[in-house]
Amino acid sequence: MKTQAILAAGFAGLALSGCIQVKAPDKPIEINLNVKVQQEVVVRLQNDAKNLIQNNPELFPQ
Amino acid sequence: MTRKFLIIAAGAVFALATGLVASAPARAQSGAVAAAMAEGAVGEQADGYLGIAGSVSAAVRSEVESINIKRRAAYTDLASKRGVTVQDVAAATGCQTLSSRVKQGQVYRIGAGPWQTKGAGAISLPSYCATAG
Repeated sequence: MKTQAILAAGFAGLALSGCIQVKAPDKPIEINLNVKVQQEVVVRLQNDAKNLIQNNPELFPQ
Repeated sequence: MTRKFLIIAAGAVFALATGLVASAPARAQSGAVAAAMAEGAVGEQADGYLGIAGSVSAAVRSEVESINIKRRAAYTDLASKRGVTVQDVAAATGCQTLSSRVKQGQVYRIGAGPWQTKGAGAISLPSYCATAG
């Protein structure tokens, strides 16, 4: 009895949701992750950069 | 026997002499760039390359260009090893040069901003340098 009621409610919900139309927006959604990605990459490269400077003193005059 | 030895010895002396002569101008040039940096005419940029901030001789200008070409080659090499862009390696190197190589009184530039002279304090680095130290 109880399960039937739940099922009925579920079907009703399904029927209702069938009426809702989802429209794609006219403009594409842009998510800009470039800044964060670059920051992570640059931080990860700090040790490499340090070594590069130390190993090529002629390229890094002071 | 002794003649052969003499020829070899003469050859070695000659090779040594030419080596010394050949390396002398290269040292003088990078010294000229260092001198231009001390004067504030050449400085490090956040993009990982040297830039010209003031008036410099043609020799210094061409040496700066030559160093930048070699830097780009080194950045390209490391970028391909790490699977990142050349720009990322260059920017990471720029964080290092600005945080630990530029001395007080020398000039530096961040992005397209103006040339600035380093004071007593640390340079305020671009945000992407984050924990650069």
